Amino acid sequence: MQRYVFRRVGALAVTLFFVSLLVFVVVRVLPGDPALIILGLEANPDSVARVRQALGLDRPIPVQYAQWVGQALRGDLGRSIQYDLPVGTLILSRLSVTLPLTLLAAGLMVAAALPLGVFAATRHRRWGDYLTMTLSQLGVAVPGFWAGLLLILLFSVRLGWVQAGGFDGWGEGIWRGLRSLLLPAVALGLFQFAVLARTTRSAVLEVLREEYVKTARAKGVAERVVLFRHALRNALIPIVTVAGIQLGQLLAGSIILESVFYLPGLGRLTLAAISARDLPVVQGVVLFVASMIVTVNAAVDILYGILDPRIRYG
Amino acid sequence: MMRLLVAALLAAVLSTPVSAQPPSALVIQVPTEPPGLDMTSNPSSAIAAVVFDNVQEGLIKIDRTGKMVPWLAERWYTSDNKNYTFFLRKSVRFSNGREMKAADVKFALDRAVNPETKHPYRVQYDAIQDVIVKDDYTVTVALKKVDATFLYTTARQGSVIYPREAVDTLKSQPIGTGPFTVSEWVRGDRIVLLRNKDYWVKGLPKLDRVVFRFIPDPNSTLAAIKSGDIDVSAFGIGPESVDELKKDSRLQVIVGDSTNDVTLSMNNSKKPYSDKRVRLAITHAINKDEVLKGAMFGYGKVLGSNVDPTNPYFVDVSKRVAYDPAKAKKLLAEAGYPNGFDAVFKVAPQYYYTVRSAEVVASQLAKVGIRATIQQIEWGQWLSQVFCLAPCQTPDYDMSIIGHAEAWDIGNFANPKYYFRWDSPEFQKLYADSQVTVDDKGRRALYVKMQEMLADEAPAVWLYMHPRLVITKKGVTGLWKDQPAPVLDLSEVAWQK
Repeated sequence: MQRYVFRRVGALAVTLFFVSLLVFVVVRVLPGDPALIILGLEANPDSVARVRQALGLDRPIPVQYAQWVGQALRGDLGRSIQYDLPVGTLILSRLSVTLPLTLLAAGLMVAAALPLGVFAATRHRRWGDYLTMTLSQLGVAVPGFWAGLLLILLFSVRLGWVQAGGFDGWGEGIWRGLRSLLLPAVALGLFQFAVLARTTRSAVLEVLREEYVKTARAKGVAERVVLFRHALRNALIPIVTVAGIQLGQLLAGSIILESVFYLPGLGRLTLAAISARDLPVVQGVVLFVASMIVTVNAAVDILYGILDPRIRYG
Repeated sequence: MMRLLVAALLAAVLSTPVSAQPPSALVIQVPTEPPGLDMTSNPSSAIAAVVFDNVQEGLIKIDRTGKMVPWLAERWYTSDNKNYTFFLRKSVRFSNGREMKAADVKFALDRAVNPETKHPYRVQYDAIQDVIVKDDYTVTVALKKVDATFLYTTARQGSVIYPREAVDTLKSQPIGTGPFTVSEWVRGDRIVLLRNKDYWVKGLPKLDRVVFRFIPDPNSTLAAIKSGDIDVSAFGIGPESVDELKKDSRLQVIVGDSTNDVTLSMNNSKKPYSDKRVRLAITHAINKDEVLKGAMFGYGKVLGSNVDPTNPYFVDVSKRVAYDPAKAKKLLAEAGYPNGFDAVFKVAPQYYYTVRSAEVVASQLAKVGIRATIQQIEWGQWLSQVFCLAPCQTPDYDMSIIGHAEAWDIGNFANPKYYFRWDSPEFQKLYADSQVTVDDKGRRALYVKMQEMLADEAPAVWLYMHPRLVITKKGVTGLWKDQPAPVLDLSEVAWQK
């Protein structure tokens, strides 16, 4: 086991090295010169050269890479060109919006999709099933940004219940924070909710045909217990797999919805950094997110062995 | 129980009222977050919108009519157009409490001239030989040569006066003499300005608090103004929404002039655009009124040259090469293109009007045989391929469309290295003369000549002036109607009683 953990951490380091190399190269082969973008139409060759020098872009690329990796290993992701702030600080401050947004969307998604999927499965080929599937079909078909705009039109412009966007920060109290994240979380989770509801329905349907479900029913076990203890539990493996993948997709989806709801999250930071060619920020965010995903994956792999004694590592 | 709890939670979240703004605060939407707040290191108009004339001011100010008026300098004097003496206003304090003195003016100008500083407009200060402090309130700027644009340069955003001890915080916490001070900048979300209680203009500013909210998406902006989340949308809403917003009794729409000339550029270094007949044919083929209608819903003004209506030397030359497709065809035949030619428009959709205008223009060009296709490229690519600054050698484009928002930028056509690549010694001479002609009458004559020459030589096609479109809640007063300079001056803005 110890050897396995050791190997897994080694593999993680190698993966991160390749991620860092990849993001560094990709960011640099992107057409568009950061200095030119900063200076815009009023640039002249002289000012462009000075800005390039100030940003350290005039040095050879391998030198720039070595310096960046060296700093990153010491926990310093560099300074943002746009904001003149440490990239690490920026990421952490934006994470305080994106992480709650993603988690709220995931929570809403699971809370709605699981019961609805189970409901549809139990009403197989009856109106309840058709209604649920039509609803989820809509969820799959409607793009998140459009759903977001519709929600804004209804709840902010028409009814005036919540603000149309923006984030006042957690300093103003948890309710105010949640209020500004609620609509975006619904819009963000809509697509994934629909997918998860459909997955749940088919997974539960599958299990409901199993012999042990028939046995349970024959024994006279209450239908609710049959559904949630026997069927859903056994159907959970594909559901959890899908939901896990969806968490990553929610994080990616936040890029667009943060723009629609003008939330100062990680997604909008990345988008703005790409347009402004704020290279340290783009590199920093990609490396940070990749590290998170790779680390979580490694942790899950290691945890498997601890959780399920049948799994052995050689 | 659980259901009840969730319902109660939702009700609590949804029913908290959206807090009402006190009447002395204003929330303004701007589409772009400023890349730092230092106007002396970055020419971005997003910085100027927040800082210029709100937080930091110059010796001279461009007022709402486009006129230069004495500001931190209460007057100035020159006998030879080479030595300018500025007499500073007394008792003007920076927001850090210290009085502004001549030494600060010297520091700011010396820093602009110094090649070590990253000042983006350094070239504009090339004429400055020396800045001499005569006493605490008198400073003389000695020029190497006569420079007709010198006074204008001191009115620019790059010439604001700041306390020398605060030079290191210009980027995040700029300090100046303006009506507001920067209180808070939540990156990615908002910048908050507070009233400068010691502002030297008595009775101003009228607002206590200003919040700039960064909302890039036009639809989100529209929703925010309709739901009342923001009080003013400064640059975020396109002309397509204006008619609808005008009908909303809670809102008012300000339509004014700007310095933003939407220009169809042609690569003059490349065939067939190097041929004046082809360029004139393209100009004759374009019905600018239709472009304005199709792309801008009729808002804006048709242009005939690089000079826009906010400029005091503006003359209307738009009829000199009028819409005449028959003549366009004839000119094309004369130039050796009786069947037209293929062309590519490279436009950056980041600026919505570029794509729309290109679509209208392309359909008009098709009628005279020019088969233009539209290629949309990202802004960074546009700058590299079309705008092409050194080390880029040759611009890679046929035609493009972009708005040139800089005022007094006719000199771009006197620069053969600029991306139009138009090399006319005659025009360059006119421009050089205008740079050393200080008397207004003579300078105006040269500007009129330059405008006529641009129209007749057609190194580019000036389609229209982009309108200034500002949407506000009813009751917001004091905003500028026109935008003769890159400012969003809030000093006189107030809520109507």
